[in-house]
Amino acid sequence: MSRYRFVLYRPFQLLPVLVGISIITFVLVRSIPGDPARVLLGPRSTEEALRRVREQFGLDEPLWLQYFYFVKNLFKGELGKSILYKVDVLKLIATRIEPTLVLVIGSVLLALLIATPMAAIAARRRGSWPDHVIRIISTAGLGFPAFWLAIMLILLFSVQLGWFPVTGYGRTFVDKIHHMTLPCLTAGLALAAVLTRNLRASILAELQSDQATAARARGLSENTVFWRHVMPNSLVPTVNLLAVNIGWLISGSVVIETVFAIPGMGQLLVRGIFTRDYMVVQGVAMVFACATVLVNFLADILTVSIDPRIKL
Amino acid sequence: MLKGKYTRYLAAAAVAALMTGTSVAEAAGVLTIGRREDGTTFDPIATAQNIDFWVFSNVYDVLVRVDKSGTKLEPGLAESWTVSEDGTEYTFKMRPAKFSDGSDITSEDAKYSLTRIRDDAGSLWSDSYQIIESMETPDPQTLVVKLSGPSAPFMASLAMPGASILSKAGMEEMGAEAYAERPIGSGAFSVEDWLRGDRVILAKNPHFWEADRVSLDGVEWISIPDDNTRILKVQAGEIDAAIFVPFARIEDLKQDPNLKVLLDQSTREDHLLINHESGALAQKEVRQALDMAIDKQSIVDAVTFGIGEVAYSYIPKGSLYHYADNLQRPYDPEKAKQMLADAGASDLTLDYLVRAGDQVDEQIAVLLQQQLGQAGITVNLSKMDPSQTWDMLVAGEYDISVMYWTKDVIDPDQKTTFVLGHDSNQNYMTRYNNPEVEALVAAARVEMDEAKRETMYVDLQKMAKEDVNWIDLYYSPYRNVTQSNIEGFFQNPLGRFFLEDTVKN
Repeated sequence: MSRYRFVLYRPFQLLPVLVGISIITFVLVRSIPGDPARVLLGPRSTEEALRRVREQFGLDEPLWLQYFYFVKNLFKGELGKSILYKVDVLKLIATRIEPTLVLVIGSVLLALLIATPMAAIAARRRGSWPDHVIRIISTAGLGFPAFWLAIMLILLFSVQLGWFPVTGYGRTFVDKIHHMTLPCLTAGLALAAVLTRNLRASILAELQSDQATAARARGLSENTVFWRHVMPNSLVPTVNLLAVNIGWLISGSVVIETVFAIPGMGQLLVRGIFTRDYMVVQGVAMVFACATVLVNFLADILTVSIDPRIKL
Repeated sequence: MLKGKYTRYLAAAAVAALMTGTSVAEAAGVLTIGRREDGTTFDPIATAQNIDFWVFSNVYDVLVRVDKSGTKLEPGLAESWTVSEDGTEYTFKMRPAKFSDGSDITSEDAKYSLTRIRDDAGSLWSDSYQIIESMETPDPQTLVVKLSGPSAPFMASLAMPGASILSKAGMEEMGAEAYAERPIGSGAFSVEDWLRGDRVILAKNPHFWEADRVSLDGVEWISIPDDNTRILKVQAGEIDAAIFVPFARIEDLKQDPNLKVLLDQSTREDHLLINHESGALAQKEVRQALDMAIDKQSIVDAVTFGIGEVAYSYIPKGSLYHYADNLQRPYDPEKAKQMLADAGASDLTLDYLVRAGDQVDEQIAVLLQQQLGQAGITVNLSKMDPSQTWDMLVAGEYDISVMYWTKDVIDPDQKTTFVLGHDSNQNYMTRYNNPEVEALVAAARVEMDEAKRETMYVDLQKMAKEDVNWIDLYYSPYRNVTQSNIEGFFQNPLGRFFLEDTVKN
């Protein structure tokens, strides 16, 4: 099992990455112009009131000291207190994490569900009309902006057909799936477009690999060759592409959550940025960053388990 | 063949199962309202956001309320009150009423709530209540408030949602943070649940002293940030009402027979800030020329689709002491040009600070740039992030910029002080400086005779117009839409929703 040894030392390699992320998010959010105290108090604020708010949230301390408190809090498992909401950021995130998770996982599942058969059909019937149609759709799919696609899906499936609710998250399990179908489809379609093209290309390459030729020579049927030898190997680059796209999906959730009024972390982040709620922005950014790092780590494990030749 | 059939049944069953899921939330008598964003807290002293205030008014009661017209005070938890001869001692007689947990609301709770907004470290409003010197509670129904001096706007400040009456016992037992999450209320509805980022769920408060007046079983304030989807949600019949309807959508929503578009009078005024310390803008004549070079009606037509109204006084139409006959300088670019030449400012160049991403603001900027150009004024637009424009306005790094103001209190003193009274905010970032006006603002604050006070505010409106402290652009109403079966959905000019009078048929 030596090829899994990286699982042990990789977390330590990731530690500097996380430190870097903490510094970058801390500095970036403070370097955008604007003053959280002024946003909180509105344009009618007096200097005295501003001073009190800055003092209350430690915004009057020197930057290095604020960073020190941020890191100290991180070690205690806290993310500080929101300026706008006046509660712990961790608590805010805890109430907002589920919808975002559902959105991301749902989108990935839908994307795979759409992309895998499309890519398989396109690759196995290379040059046929289904191949052309699939390639045109997936190329066009790359160009649709999420907010436009979202409104179109709402108009068709919610307003015209009445199949799905326009917005919201829902409360029961079934209710949640019902509410999240369109948002997941919005993100999933865009992702499927990327995946289909990529997966088609790698299937084509694998179909002509020595391994596939050898399998055919052993007298295996073309279906067996495809599912047992071609598909697993084609998935390796797809898994990695998926991992890379998780970051894209998470940032895309910001738009999709806003359009579909999903009470997730993306919306929390947007409002945090607009109101210069430093603690919320750095907290959410940290969680997103950690999630991206974690997903890439998992993707590495998955890659190694799919393809025994790969060593990390 | 058989296989295909089964899959079809299965799919149909799955869709049917999913569809039944939605109808769960729709309880009879619960009003669902879509708004742009979720609230931030239920602690009345810890927020200055309208989005919070508008919900507070239905969760908490105050000693005195603002009536539907937005110009008069009426009894709330205080049944009646008397004021001492010198105007420094107020005695309130409180009516018998209960909190949402069934406990009595006493003068001790009122004293606690007012002390808290004045003294608490987390209070954003403490400046407005420093005038309160001391309070006494001779009995559970009587509150005596002593002021450090006479103050005409004091009564109005008690109607502010920040001064909502909280349960002292509840606050002490729960602590401020828990109270801010699930408060003990004194108003028509109480907070049943708050799904952060999604919705606030209110239930009728059976202990409310005016419970007979309330017809709704509950209210849900649902956060739907995107304007398009919020409106679609009403059109699809999934919610009963939506607030913040964009100007551009009003006309087509009016065509929908299932919907009612409501345009309630607000106190919102959009105006053009002028930096009085920037070059030629220090001259009154130059500012007057700017006023004449702007065609306000064309802004009303283009930006508000004719829904707004040309503004002509800093005290908005429909507000207490609004002066309806205030001077309106005619749109006359030629005369403006002449006035600029006379003032030696023919080649005036102005830096116009625009809030990037704000559609209305960007639209006005383009219009104004073109209009001022006709009077020979070069306007350079600089688009900045909204939070940044604020800092620049405060620092005086601008010549002109559009801002707006909505009032929190019925009394004109707050706005007047901020805009004309030389407060620490540089007269709302304009650096306007007229000692005569300043003195009158201070005098009006302590004038207890209503008729005399009104005259003073009329004079202030005239003087501000003469000096062109800023340029009044337009007034605009609240823009809400409801299903046609909703009656009595109304917002008074200060923004309070009268949900206690709303009926869902």
